[in-house]
This record gives sequence, C-alpha cells and structure tokens, in this order.
Amino acid sequence: MDEEDPRNGDEPIPKKPRVGLALSISGPGPEIREEFAHHQPGIARINNGSFGSCPGSVLAAQRAWQLRFLHQPDEFYFKTLRKGILESRTVIKDLINADHVDEVSLVDNATTAAAIVLQQIGQAFSHGLFCKNDTVVMFHCAFQAIKKSIQAYVVRAGGAVVEIQLPFPLHSRQQIVSEFRKGLERGKANGGKIRLAIIDHITSMPSFVIPVRELVDICREEGVDQVFVDAAHAMGTVPVDVKELGVDFYVSNLHKWFFCPPSVALFYCRKSLISSQIHHPVVTEEYGKGLPMESSWIGTRDYSSQLVVPSALEFVNRFQGGLQGIMKRNHDGVVQMGSMLAESWGTILGSPPHMCGSMIMVGLPSRLCITSEDDASRLRSHLRAYYSVEVPIYYHAPRDGEVGPRDKEGLITGYARISHQVYNTLEDYHKFRDAINQLIEDGKVCKMLLAE
Amino acid sequence: MGGRWTIYYYHRFPLFLLPNQTPQILNLKSEPLFQIPVACYSDHCLNHNLSHSPIKPKFSSFITDSQIQSEFAHHDQGVARINNGSFGCCPASVITVLQQWQLKYLRQPDHFNYNELQKGILKSRTIIKDLINADHVDEISVVDNATTAVAIVLQHTAWAFAEGIYEKGNAIVMLHYAYGAVKKSIKAYISRAGGDVIEVHFKFPVNSKDEVISAFRKALAKGKANGKRIRLAVIDHITSMPSIVIPVKKLVEICREEGVDQVFVDAAHGIGCTVVDMKEIGADFYTSNLHKWFFCPPSVAFLYCRKWSKCLDLHHPVVSHEYGNGLPIESAWVGTRDYSTYLVVPSALEFINRFENGMQGIMKRNHDAVVEMGKMLAKAWGTNLGCPPEMCATMVMVGLPACLGISSENDSLKLRTHLRERFGVEVPIYYREPEDGEDEPITGYARISHQVYNKVDDYQKFRGAVDQLVVDGFTCTHLLD
Repeated sequence: MDEEDPRNGDEPIPKKPRVGLALSISGPGPEIREEFAHHQPGIARINNGSFGSCPGSVLAAQRAWQLRFLHQPDEFYFKTLRKGILESRTVIKDLINADHVDEVSLVDNATTAAAIVLQQIGQAFSHGLFCKNDTVVMFHCAFQAIKKSIQAYVVRAGGAVVEIQLPFPLHSRQQIVSEFRKGLERGKANGGKIRLAIIDHITSMPSFVIPVRELVDICREEGVDQVFVDAAHAMGTVPVDVKELGVDFYVSNLHKWFFCPPSVALFYCRKSLISSQIHHPVVTEEYGKGLPMESSWIGTRDYSSQLVVPSALEFVNRFQGGLQGIMKRNHDGVVQMGSMLAESWGTILGSPPHMCGSMIMVGLPSRLCITSEDDASRLRSHLRAYYSVEVPIYYHAPRDGEVGPRDKEGLITGYARISHQVYNTLEDYHKFRDAINQLIEDGKVCKMLLAE
Repeated sequence: MGGRWTIYYYHRFPLFLLPNQTPQILNLKSEPLFQIPVACYSDHCLNHNLSHSPIKPKFSSFITDSQIQSEFAHHDQGVARINNGSFGCCPASVITVLQQWQLKYLRQPDHFNYNELQKGILKSRTIIKDLINADHVDEISVVDNATTAVAIVLQHTAWAFAEGIYEKGNAIVMLHYAYGAVKKSIKAYISRAGGDVIEVHFKFPVNSKDEVISAFRKALAKGKANGKRIRLAVIDHITSMPSIVIPVKKLVEICREEGVDQVFVDAAHGIGCTVVDMKEIGADFYTSNLHKWFFCPPSVAFLYCRKWSKCLDLHHPVVSHEYGNGLPIESAWVGTRDYSTYLVVPSALEFINRFENGMQGIMKRNHDAVVEMGKMLAKAWGTNLGCPPEMCATMVMVGLPACLGISSENDSLKLRTHLRERFGVEVPIYYREPEDGEDEPITGYARISHQVYNKVDDYQKFRGAVDQLVVDGFTCTHLLD
C-alpha cells in the first residue's frame, strides 16, 4: 500500500478501505474494539457525553500532524497549517449546511465560543450601545461555564440576565416552548430589549433535546437581537442544519460525539452586520481579518486536533449509514439501555425517547437518598472507585409546587446520565445496573459512601 | 489483560514514529510507549515519569553530542535550522512523556480530569516558581503562550477603563519594536477602550543599552508633559524583530520613579534564553513561553503576577466554572482541552539537568556560540551585528549584504522563503528602513538562533547560501510574490 509522506504536503494518511463497520446493540465488532483499545479496560465507560472519545486511526492521524510540525515548524506554519484548517472548515461547512466557509471557525471548545459571543455583548453594554434594562436570556440548566461567562462579561458590564426554569422530568416539547415564551416576556418586562438568547441544543445536566427551531422562530417573532445556540453535544448525536435553524451563532464540540481528539469545536457565525465585531479574545496579527482567520492562529499552539476533522469524517463514513447510522444506533441503544435500567430499578426516564439523542437520564432508586449535589458527586466517585462504572449523577431538588416522580419507596431525586457511543457494550449497562442493585441490597445511602 | 495500543498503525504508518522509535506491541500498563535509545537514561516509564519525584540520571556523565543529536533526530535533517527563536524545539524524551500523558487522559478522561490533572499542573507551577524566584506558587499561572498572557493583562486594563478606574486618555507605553500580536492586542483592548498609546522609539542597530534607557525616559517624559497618566508599561525582555535584550530591570525602576501604575514584561523569549528572576526584575506581570527555549512542546507558557491580590483581578478570557477562583485556577481549566503540554514541565527540567551546569550552562554555551557565529557571518559578508554581544542572549541580528536589495518587509519574507526552498536554510529576515542620507545602507538582518542541536555546519550553510546569492547577482526584485 502506498504511504504518502506527510512531509510532501499531501494528505497525512492514506484513505482506509470502506469496510462497513457493523454496529449493533449487542456490542461492537472487533474492528471497533481495536479502534478503542486504548480505553481503560474493565471500566463501564457510559459517559461519552462529558469528554467524548477518539478512535486509534484518528489519533494516529493527529500524531502525524504533530510530528510534521516538530519536523520543520516554520515550513508547517507558512505552507501547511492554514490549508489544513481550511480543509477542516470546509468539511464542517458541508456537514452543517452553512452557506459559506467564512461562516465557519474552529475554536477549542464551546466554552471558548461562549466567551467570544459574550465578550461582544459585554462590550456593547460597556460602550452604552445597549441600555441597562436590556437583557440576556438563558435556561436555568445552562452549562455552568456559560453562566459564569455571562457573569464575567454581561453582568459585570451592567447587563441583566433572565433565567428560564424548565420542568424536569419532561413529558413534551410543549413544556419547553411555553416556559420559553414566558421567559421572553420576563426579558422584556422592564421595557428593555432582549439582546441575546442562549439556547442549548441538548442540555448537559439534566440532559434532553430542546426544540431549537421552534424557539429560534419565537425569538425572531419577539424581536430578540441575537440567538446563540450552545450545541456542545449536538454534532454526532442529532442532525445539524444551521440554515434551517436560522441562528446567529451555533457551536458544537467535535471531540464529544464526532470522534475528534481533545479539543476542537465548530463555531458557526452567520454573516451579518455584527460579524466584524466578533473577535477571538487572544489577539494576534490576524486581528480584524474575521473570526475564522483569527481563530486559525492564536499564537504558537498545537493545532493538530483542528487538522484531523477530515480524518474523523473518514472514520465516521466507515460505518454503515455513516453519521446517520451511528446516531440512530446510539439513540436506539441508549433508549433501550435506559429503559432496561429504569425497569430494573423501578424508576423512570427523565424524558421521552424523542427528546433525547445519544444520552438519556435514568432515575435512581429513592432508597439511595440523594439529597444534595454533594451526594450525587459522592455516588459518582464511589461508582468509579468501587464498581468501575463511569457515569455522571444529577441531583434534582424538588421545587415548590412540583409533584416529583416517585418509585415504590419515595421521591426520585437522583438521575444518571447514560451515554451510548459505538464502543459501548451491553455489559457496560449491566455492570451499572448491578452496581446500583448491590448498593440497594447492602442498604447503602449516599451519605455513607466512600468517595475514594 | 492490559489495554494494547494496536501495532497496526505503527506498521502501516512508520512515519508517525520518532526516528529512534520502533514499532512494537505496547502494553500501556507497564511499558514505555516509545523506546528510548540505550545511550540515554532509560527510566522513562509510565509510572516513574508521572510520579512526583524527579528522576536523577543513573550515570555520572553529562549528555553527549550524539545523544543530543538523537534527541532531535526528528528535526528535518536537510534544513539548517537556525531559527529556534520562532517555534522552539522539543527533545524526543519530552515528546515521549507528552504522549504518555495524552494516552493516560484518553484511557479514562473522567478519572484523569478529576484526580490527576490539577495535581500535575500544580507540580509544573511549583517548578516554574522556583526557577524564576517567585515568592509563592499562587503567583504563577500556566497558559498556552505569551500571546494569551498579553490578552489576559490587557483585558484587565480594558476593564479598568470601562469601569472608570482609568480615564479616557490615560496611556499605555510600549516599545516600537514590540511584537506584532502585542501591538494588535493593545489596539483591540486599550485603544478601543479609550486609552492612548505611547511608543518608545530607538534606533536599530543599537550600540548600547543606554540608548534604550534614554529613549524610554524620553517617551515617559513626553507622555507626562502632555498631561498623560501612564497606567501600564509593556516592555519586552528580548524583542522579537529586531532581537535585542532590553535592560528591563532598569526600565522597571524608571517606571516606579515616574509613577507608572503597572509594568508588564513580555518575555516570550525569556526563560531558557536569559536570566529570569522576578524579584530582581520587580515587574508586576511577567510572561514567558516554555516551548521556545525551555524544551517544552507547543505550547505552554507562564504568567507571573507579583501580588496574589493581582491574580484575583486578572481573569482568563475563556471563562469556566472556575471563574473567580484566581487566575492560576481559572487557567488550569478552560473547558475540555489537551492539557498535556502543561504537564511535561518537570520532564523538560530533567532534560535540561542532563547538561553540564544545567540551564545556566546551556544559556552560556548558546550565547557564546551565537555571538561567534554571528561575527563569523558578519565578517564573511562585510556587514555588522545588530547590537553589541552583551545585548544579545541566544539570538543575534546579522546584517545581510546590501546588494541583496531587501527594500521592504515583503522582500524579507520572500527572501526567507527562497532561502528555505532553494538552500534548505531556515532563518527569519528583518527589514530595516534606512535613514535619510545613509550610504549603501544595510536594510536586511538575519536573526540567527543557537540551540543545543545546532552545529557550525548550519551557519556555514547559511553563509554559503548568501555568498551564492551575491555571486549570482541576486536581488529581491528577482523573487516573485
């Protein structure tokens, strides 16, 4: 097989033959297992949502890029880097149905994209372009980093924030839509404009899929200036079509569900009058040339995770049905496993199947007495250390007036967020099921669990 | 059964190995990922290197020439690589440790992020604190590069303008030869917030540090005469292009005398290049890259803040849930990332300590060699150095023959490309605008670097290339855009 020398400025690795990697609920075949052989064995790794995963072939491609830089960095910088990043951006543009590659930037992660969007909002408040009554609207369950970013950039500059509470567990999209409408009303209550709405595509904790398209339409009806969709989990779990959504900003991590190494995220910014005000906070000579250019050089760095996007797509296309096939099998798998667990424990799912992608919230038995975030954290650590199960736990405090779900013994206040990715096996979920059942059998409650 | 990194990829893609590595079945649990040559000390293994106790070499002799060449065998051997200043270098043994960290993360990222990462970053910060004579590890943050550190400090200054602590028209002072990215950052953050910018001009070539000192005094005086309150001075420790060592300690003293609020030293080229002592220099903020001259992989740098209280005021622009916990903690988590470059600082120090007299020894030998090579080239071409030897560290500016006709920045870039492509020489070229009345001015200077892997041959190759160009009657106008 001809091997192309990466030093020639060609593709770093030759294309692999399409072998139609088989995906089935019963478990990954030998080729997939080989690709993820570097995962620590013996762990039920049912938390792909947090930090994602990267197959061996993409890691090898990354290694090749890294060595290419070390080999002759000046030449890499002048001749290779930008071409490679442009290729990655072009792949993304096609995947997300953006109009133009100029609308696509690559950044480290969704957290970085949020800082970029919020920095310009904050500056508008600081410079008096926005009034004190103007607001930024977001969900109460928005990712903690986003909330802090709003504090750091918007609140500090004098802007106000409106948080929209969503019910949980959820039964329908309509619940989200109606809370969102009410939230927008509150955003305009003091006579101000809503300058920015931050909408998760898939929330983190608790996790469910938000009907983004409908919410964006409502935003436009209600005169919201800018809409930023935080879709950290979307790429590789749900279909992504930015034109169809009609948003101003859309960010999705590629290292979570799109098999890229940590870390890289796609950041879509619709061409508009404010495009020239969007800047990467780390300023270089590229300042003013547009965010894609600014993001492609933020000082000497290892850009290899941005360069392997084509390799990740190649990996995805080795599966039957490509990305669609993977998404469907992950979705079916996680719903099936979630249902199996809920049934075994006598609990419930946090949302109906049509409101989840490749992750689902599964109620934990009330007997575990999860009564605080601390308890949830303790349970997670205990499961990792003593049962080799990696799964994030969410504590849902019962709210006033809310009739919480119950199992036979009491109120369900804890949920596990299970993920399903191509490397997961039935045994992973059985291991988790059995661990919880063992804790129940032993009469354990969270407060008595050893964290390490 | 331990996890096995597949040999499949290494057999199919041997180019992905460092030259001294061989494909093998690797058991992640107990074997080193890559074989280190027998001649080097071979205790690199997953458990040792990632533990808290540094490894001392088992033998008593220092690293040899051939071991050094082996450590840098992954460099393009066909290139005279005399530009360590731009992108630095990283020895194979440190790359190996980097890869081990990366794999450790990939094996079980949750466990790594919750239980290992912060410990590792704290260890790196502690080493840096000792190296630069800082008081407390809380004064040290690890960031990607000096460019990021500059954004952090300038964003903080911009907030001071926005919040009315500084008034419109208050000034920032910087050198005319400040790095391009820094100038843009000052424009983006300070000018935009209403701050004025005062540039310190001095001539190049430079004859003595007094020229720099008096230019600095003049600029401050002028600023104050115009009624400006100077809030921040941004001073390079070693300028990039043209490259000279700035007498920062003296300039910081002047700043204190003249009531400049804060001083920020941009030492992108600091650590590993020149002596870096925070208490000696006395700046409020100091940043230096570790991937340029401290043998770390790209990229990692530190930002020092003189008082702990200042660390609470500074924020990383990428805000995470750690916001408000102090810059060192904020910088140690900026969302999911590959933080392995932050973790290999102990391994880089180990590598340095294999050399006679460690860091001091490397710096001295690099300095002596680059001055010798610079003089050799200047003599061969009948030109001059850009500054006296005491104003250079491990880089020096060497005048290029005037007949090459370098008449713009564009020419200097084209010439650099031509040297790379035709002669296999990698060296950055600086265009110096001639002054009125200069007779046959030298308008082009090459910035040559010397690092431990360099050989006399590299500089001879460069000399030969330029001699050839002169003989050919080459001028930059011959080069296409």
